Amino acid sequence: MASVTISNVQKNYGAMNVLSAVDLSIADGEFVVLVGPSGCGKSTLLRMIAGLEEISAGEIKIGDRVVNDVAPKDRDIAMVFQSYALYPHMDVASNMGFSLMLRKTAKELVLNRVGSAAKRLGLDVYLQRLPRQLSGGQRQRVAMGRAIVRDPKVFLFDEPLSNLDAKLRVHMRTEIKALHQQLKTTSVYVTHDQVEAMTMADRIVVMHDGVIQQVGTPLELYDHPANLFVAGFIGSPGMNFLPAVVARQGNKVSAELTDGQMIPLRPELKVEDGDRVTVGIRPENIEVGTSAALKAKIEVIEPLGLSTQFYTRLAGQQVCIFAMGRTDRGPGDTIALGIKPADVHVFHGKTGLRLS
Amino acid sequence: MVMQSTAAGLPQNSGGKGAKRSFSVAFEPWLYLSPGLVLLLLVLVVPLIFGVSYSFRKFSAFKSEYVGLAQYQALLHDQVLGQALMNTLWWTVASLVLQFFLGLGLALLLDRDFAGKKFVQAIVFLPWAVPSFLSGLTWAWLFNPIVGPLPHWLFALGLKAEPTNILSDPATAMWGPIIANVWFGVPFFAITLLAALKSIPGELHEAAAIDGANPWQRFTKVTLPFLAPTIAITVMLRTIWIATFADLIYVMTEGGPAGSTNTVATYIYVSAFKTLDKGYASAVAVLLLALLILYAIVLIRIRRSLVRYS
Repeated sequence: MASVTISNVQKNYGAMNVLSAVDLSIADGEFVVLVGPSGCGKSTLLRMIAGLEEISAGEIKIGDRVVNDVAPKDRDIAMVFQSYALYPHMDVASNMGFSLMLRKTAKELVLNRVGSAAKRLGLDVYLQRLPRQLSGGQRQRVAMGRAIVRDPKVFLFDEPLSNLDAKLRVHMRTEIKALHQQLKTTSVYVTHDQVEAMTMADRIVVMHDGVIQQVGTPLELYDHPANLFVAGFIGSPGMNFLPAVVARQGNKVSAELTDGQMIPLRPELKVEDGDRVTVGIRPENIEVGTSAALKAKIEVIEPLGLSTQFYTRLAGQQVCIFAMGRTDRGPGDTIALGIKPADVHVFHGKTGLRLS
Repeated sequence: MVMQSTAAGLPQNSGGKGAKRSFSVAFEPWLYLSPGLVLLLLVLVVPLIFGVSYSFRKFSAFKSEYVGLAQYQALLHDQVLGQALMNTLWWTVASLVLQFFLGLGLALLLDRDFAGKKFVQAIVFLPWAVPSFLSGLTWAWLFNPIVGPLPHWLFALGLKAEPTNILSDPATAMWGPIIANVWFGVPFFAITLLAALKSIPGELHEAAAIDGANPWQRFTKVTLPFLAPTIAITVMLRTIWIATFADLIYVMTEGGPAGSTNTVATYIYVSAFKTLDKGYASAVAVLLLALLILYAIVLIRIRRSLVRYS
């Protein structure tokens, strides 16, 4: 096992800058998820750690060793690909034992390691099968098995669950997490799915346009998003955003929406009267039916049984509200919304950075 | 429409008309297939039957007569045919091996990116577009010391004692058509193998690189198993084409000198159109057909044992 240290790493394809000055240190045994929309550079960063992409500038260390010029096979890493990249002409046992065989490991030891990995993943009855004779979930497990028989310093996962159906994805998510808790191998996991990131990560790295937006534990990112992008990316249903102007009257601070309605803000917030801001409120932080002054019109109601989602129109913006239980209201009704000042995230109107 | 009528033709009652109905059920699909079957019979099977039937006859200027197996008995004692069989083997194996390995090399080169790749690709595939008679003539001239440079180059390099035509020496004559054939046939392997190479997912090479395979191991453990089905089928097709390919040899040497480049294919051609012994030519052709079918069966068996995945 080992830490991974990424210092000032850049990647250019010709004149195009894909990653700019990325700094990140991943502790020994940590499970870090790189998340972001497609094209944000997360896969490129992972492939640079793997040695599949050259590093244009900067330095990547695995443990204490700089690996910039080390071949993938000598980095002591294992990677699980999105397509699984199983060798179609080899059976499950050979697929899993291939790396050990190339390292001229004794046959008995290979059988042993493959056997125990297969057992752990529930693949022991499939060892003689070819990849094409397996289901998607089983192939995914073989790819995992191929990684764990190596007992590498670092596991790299490149969207390993995106080819599975929704149910299996949830299942494999917990399995990967359980596996990590057993093996405690440093893991870097790339996904575009923020739910995967939230559920699996010790720490999440949110990336956008080749720049790290924020690094933190799932709840840190959820409760204190550093900017509009992170705020909008993390959480499902997503945070509601409303453009507003700050109105400060003595000790009382509020945000005036475009239709004149006011949302109360925390008085200690460092904003001035007249500042343009974007107000962010999570759907579950809006209370329906209180006596507060905010009024919104219901457009769509989604009853989920356990909870209800309201899509309302407030100051010309669509605002999603997540409420537990059920409702007797219907589309077209006007409802009163209650929002606590502590639950309101305020972002700079121009830069989108969080204001505290 | 077809689906509907097939469904209507399915057994609906098992009453007294059952036998008649089951016949029409069995017959109906063949009716739909009949245009294709008739076409296949006319185009493939009928000419083949005629060709084979010629081998049981003896042709002379204005008539032909049935001679049973006499043509085949003659085959057994034909010294020229024996030599032609050996020449065919040599011509086929040498052409095939050189075409395959050069084609594979070119395909591997063209599978990576470099400046001017498109241009090189076009040049590589060009010989395929040249008519075989033209390439035969061109190569014959190239080997001719009066108009071609090759004998002089070979002499200058010290490979030949004198700048003579290799086509006029029975010991070396076969190399002429073989070289021309290699030039002509390399693009076939390059194109098909390149297409197969392109179909290998890049992630497999990356996975192998991470698993610890060096370039040679990646080639033998990932690339070759992927190419194996294509290799098996192209080698089979190419062998059959080369073994029956008479144009180049006929244009360059007409099977000479002293029968040293006479293959079964040129022998058939000469027998049929120069000696006008069509019956005998047919018998030789049937022999060649039988040998090639045998070869194809063996190769298909090998392919099946090689290819365990789809």
